[in-house]
Amino acid sequence: MVATNQDQLITMSVMGVVISPSYPGIPAVPHQIDRDGKPRLLPHLGGIVYNVALGDSVYGWAGDNIEPGVAIKASDAGANQALNVFACVGNIAVIMSGNAKGAKGIVTGKSGRFAEHVILHFESSVLEQLAFGDKIVVRAYGVGMSVTGFPGIHLKSMSPDTFEAMRIEENSGKLTVPVSAIVPPELMGAGAGLTSESGAICIQSMDENALKRNGLDTLRLGDIVALQDVDSAWGHGYKKGSVGIGVVSSTDSIKAGYGPGVTLMMTAPGGEIDPMVVEGTNLASLLGIAGARD
Amino acid sequence: MVRTNKDRLIEMAVGGEVWPPRITSPYRPNAQGEAVVFMGTAGIILNARVGDRAYGWAADHVEPGVSIRNAQDGPEHALHYLACIGNEAIVTSGEAKGAHGVVTGEHAHIMVDFEPEVMEQMAPGDQILIRALGIGLEFLDYPDIYIRKISPELLEAMRIEEIGNGKIRIPVAAEIPPYLMGSGSELGADYVDQDMMTNDRATLAELGLDNLRIGDILAVKDHDHTFNRGYREGAVTIGLINHADSYMTGHGPGIMDIICCASDKIEYYVDTENRPNLANYLGIGNSKHT
Repeated sequence: MVATNQDQLITMSVMGVVISPSYPGIPAVPHQIDRDGKPRLLPHLGGIVYNVALGDSVYGWAGDNIEPGVAIKASDAGANQALNVFACVGNIAVIMSGNAKGAKGIVTGKSGRFAEHVILHFESSVLEQLAFGDKIVVRAYGVGMSVTGFPGIHLKSMSPDTFEAMRIEENSGKLTVPVSAIVPPELMGAGAGLTSESGAICIQSMDENALKRNGLDTLRLGDIVALQDVDSAWGHGYKKGSVGIGVVSSTDSIKAGYGPGVTLMMTAPGGEIDPMVVEGTNLASLLGIAGARD
Repeated sequence: MVRTNKDRLIEMAVGGEVWPPRITSPYRPNAQGEAVVFMGTAGIILNARVGDRAYGWAADHVEPGVSIRNAQDGPEHALHYLACIGNEAIVTSGEAKGAHGVVTGEHAHIMVDFEPEVMEQMAPGDQILIRALGIGLEFLDYPDIYIRKISPELLEAMRIEEIGNGKIRIPVAAEIPPYLMGSGSELGADYVDQDMMTNDRATLAELGLDNLRIGDILAVKDHDHTFNRGYREGAVTIGLINHADSYMTGHGPGIMDIICCASDKIEYYVDTENRPNLANYLGIGNSKHT
């Protein structure tokens, strides 16, 4: 077991409400422009998404960067920033109002610059009872966590439960981290240059040959992936030898520069992480999340 | 001369005012996680102009010359979307009223180059009018190649050659590999720029990209910026450095997309004799340095 300082961490409530999708009004041009310049009207981001869940393919949906399950946001900008920075992948989310009051779910990721949502997984029976405005508290636990003996490794949006479940091992001064795939640096897109404490960084999917060549054409929601040559210590950017680890949190996109969104959980600017490809390494099976697809 | 539809373009005025820098917290983290005071965007910058170095300033995202914006949201976006590099700017109020300058790029603000003696007379709030000309510019014989936000005059100065097989060739100051393209990927390609990522100084030195200048015209390999900005093998984007380097991870000199093609219709070569730079091409800024 790789040791952390988890006994020093604070557990704090942050809260958001279930939000509606949002589209621009008149002059009635609601389209996203796809990578070939074609305007398309599609469901975008979240809200409550009934039929896309952890474990599903990120590809092939008639949607754009869909957030599986439930997306929440706090209406006050400062509170939303706290929600987005403090919530960690694997944290427990508890519904505090509405028909599903008392039901529990789990944080599975975050969305980036133009959404700033936290993405939650609940079982289908819970999703059916939710309404916009329902309050959901996340028991934020993980910010401040560090790996004992590895001062160069930064953890972000990482809960102790997820860290423990990831089957991380120490080998010759490095951490070996099982992942489902490794993303090369030229495919890192929207999210570069932005904060790594919240939000997501996209795996660019415009070039299908590049996806296939790198084994990224079969990604599923919840897959753990490595980001090669990406330093995410203080924002995301290229640095040769750096390694990041994240979880695939939203589906593919039609836009150039975009693709499946990854929530960053670990980064080693000095390369103290060795990713090891183990097919099917996914948050759902690691945490035994009920209601995820097989 | 490559044929274009330049005689069909509309010349329309847009405007803004000299915009002062504003800060909230004085500190932001650099790529090493140290707190740094950021200075560089907005205001009047007397000593960094197009043609000057893009690296080595003790500053972040330096916008050369005079930065302008419009205080009203709609006119501000008209300024962003219609002003083109190479357009004429005219000071319409203040001590420098009547002076002329040239648009050199679009970032958080529209950047305009004026002679130093003009800039010394200018103050925040001075009104600047731009004669916007260039939006809608197209090659008549190359429908797959897209032109963005440059004046017909700059396009004609860029020494573009027709080489047959439906292709053109453009001299550039350097080639940028796709994995160095960073912040700006999340924005539409008709808005501002995409930064190079310069945190990895060893890689920059290895690739000979550590001596770039503001105003340099560059080729980005395997990047298609026709609609948004992204990786596509075989595509080429020709860009122009509009602002200087940054302290932040994932940031660096800004590359404004000016000509791009999703397929292989653009060829380019690095011209070390006659540096492809905006300052040389339009005789502005510190062209003597390039």
